Amino acid sequence: MRLTDASVAIRPRSAWEALDLGVLLARRHAGLLMASWALLTLPLFALLCLLLWEHPGWAIFAFWWLKPAYERLPLYILSHALFGDTPSLGQAFKALPGLLKPQLLASLTWRRLSPTRSFDLPVLQLEGLAGPARSQRLVVLGQRDAGGATWLTVVGMHLEMALWLGLISLFYLLLPQQIELDWSWQSLANAAAGEWLWLEHLSNLLYALLLIVWEPVYVACGFTLYLNRRTALEAWDIELVFRQLRQRLTGVAYALLLGFGLVLLQAPTAAMAAGASSCPLPQEDPHGPQAARLLKQPLSSQAARHSIEQLLDAPPFENRETVTLWRFGEAATAEDPSADSLKGLIEKFLKLAEFWKSLDAVALFFEALLWATLFALVALLVWRYRDWLATFTGRLGLPQRRAHLPPSQLFGLEVAPQSLPEDVAGEVERLWTEQPRAALGLLYRALLSRLLHDYRLPLKDSHTEAEVLRLVQGLDRHELSAFSQLLTRHWQNLAYGHRLPPEDLRHALCDDWRRLSAAGGRG
Amino acid sequence: MSLSSVAQPARVHCPPLDTRYQVETPEGIDLLLRPAGLVPRALAFAIDLAIRGLALLLLFVVLGLLGQFGMGLASILLFLLTWWYMVLFEVFNQGRSPGKQLLGLRVVHDDGTPVGWAASLTRNLLRFVDILPFAYTLGILSCLNHPAFKRLGDIAAGTLVVYRDTLPARPNLPQAEALRAPFALSLSEQRALLGFAERAEQLSSARRAELAAILAEPLQVPAEQAEQRLHGIARGLLGPT
Repeated sequence: MRLTDASVAIRPRSAWEALDLGVLLARRHAGLLMASWALLTLPLFALLCLLLWEHPGWAIFAFWWLKPAYERLPLYILSHALFGDTPSLGQAFKALPGLLKPQLLASLTWRRLSPTRSFDLPVLQLEGLAGPARSQRLVVLGQRDAGGATWLTVVGMHLEMALWLGLISLFYLLLPQQIELDWSWQSLANAAAGEWLWLEHLSNLLYALLLIVWEPVYVACGFTLYLNRRTALEAWDIELVFRQLRQRLTGVAYALLLGFGLVLLQAPTAAMAAGASSCPLPQEDPHGPQAARLLKQPLSSQAARHSIEQLLDAPPFENRETVTLWRFGEAATAEDPSADSLKGLIEKFLKLAEFWKSLDAVALFFEALLWATLFALVALLVWRYRDWLATFTGRLGLPQRRAHLPPSQLFGLEVAPQSLPEDVAGEVERLWTEQPRAALGLLYRALLSRLLHDYRLPLKDSHTEAEVLRLVQGLDRHELSAFSQLLTRHWQNLAYGHRLPPEDLRHALCDDWRRLSAAGGRG
Repeated sequence: MSLSSVAQPARVHCPPLDTRYQVETPEGIDLLLRPAGLVPRALAFAIDLAIRGLALLLLFVVLGLLGQFGMGLASILLFLLTWWYMVLFEVFNQGRSPGKQLLGLRVVHDDGTPVGWAASLTRNLLRFVDILPFAYTLGILSCLNHPAFKRLGDIAAGTLVVYRDTLPARPNLPQAEALRAPFALSLSEQRALLGFAERAEQLSSARRAELAAILAEPLQVPAEQAEQRLHGIARGLLGPT
């Protein structure tokens, strides 16, 4: 055993931490430990089931009773793995017969129910002592950490139970609904009668399976408790550091000897000798570090200390503040509790209880109060997060019930129906020769107004003429769309390009408009 | 002993297993946390469960006298005890519910800061995932399999159950004349020397002599005086007390 090879950090720990280290140790070698445990116990479990098919209770009892025998295998693996020499599965099973020999009977009889089983096993299996020496050793080791081992066993029992119940409920949850089993508790209770034997064997199997997970951890925890106890008893951690220190120092000593030899060969000079002695060890000051020093210079040690203390006494090192508060005076009620007063108190309390019983209105009041508080809270929450809620519903694409008011102006043109003359076409024909701009403008306004109010196009101030045309095309009315294109082109030519529309357009546009408005009126 | 019986060169080198968990602060200081494993946590939970059970029993007996009002009050308290017992204790009592306090545990964030509302609520609401399918099966398996012994709620909330640091007791060194070490010592070596002197009473005299003899040669004293010399150096390291 070489401590420097240990794969765990060796230091004295509390019993709980030693248990935790065991969990980590079992986790590092989990594959090997679980595989070996399964290979060892599952065939045995199958054998026991076959032999005791009629008595599943006895089968699981025998399997449970033999646990200390299986535990020797994981301990063998862990004790070798601790010093970096992890055995293979085959090696472990080859060693198994030799492991079972010592103290098997004791493990299976009077030590079977010992709560410190996991803690004692390393002593029995690894130390190879016999007779009184062994029991003495157990007593010495058990002086500390035995409590941890007991708790480990107690908690372990409950964990096994919890995992077993968990696996059973998982199994129950995974039953397909098609299997119409009449699994009332009554029939389960009668299961022992006979035909439910396979179910009991199944639950036993679940126990054997969960031991694959838990038992390696249990053994590893007992083993690390044992290691921890020996670390504390024999100061393994100190030995480790002492050995490293010794190696370092003796190594340095050899180097120094070698160096000294070289120096001798080079015929030492005075400078070298001075260099060797220029760094003496600091002498003990008889007065200690507090004594006055540096007295022959302007800043003596006392003055320096004084100014340092002043600095440390002021902010930011020291912040002082005065707080003035009003406080209630001491309550001067001295009660003398005696048997009489206690009796009276209980009587009063009972009276109070009866009084309250008659006052169920109080309950009603509190109920109303609590409901009111709940509603107020909900309302407060909704109010507090109203913006967030609005954003959220907007993103969901819920229908917005916002009234869509058509604008009265578009691109600076009045488009409200009231602003237009009764007979738009006649007015246009009248204006065409003198004010062609006003005539075309009026016609375009009338078109927009009709689009807005009759065809309900959602026009906005930000739309361009081309976008309006695209929207009109979306309406799928060829006549309207052709008219709009024609009018828009000439309106743009006039408005932006100052090019007058041709004369023959007047009749075409006005007739189209009349026809359209007539069609619009009919449709 | 058979621990020493096998020595083979085929070794896998990995860092030594330890239960410590290091958190580096922005100042470059390593905080050492000691995560607590399944056994103490299960015990702490059992204590908390028992306390809650007793409290509920008492409440129902006392409030049962008060009729409908009492039962209403009792159901409110039942709600508080089931869902808020752990959260309130953890947030207001430095991460310690009564069970954890008894076992010397506390809950902290992964970075060692005190646990807050969000983390505490998350880890305690997700307790109901750990319980699945029954009796904490998932929680137990997760706790056994996580290197820092976290259950699922802890993983989700980013919390850690650690052992509380206890105040160190004043070291009690054996009487010896304080000496200066004849060679420079690193921090761990100084600690080992102090530990040797502090734990002298727990070690057998033969073991003490054996340990001291390791350093007899570098100290340039006979093996019999090495122990006394080491005690002296430890006293020198400790300084005047």
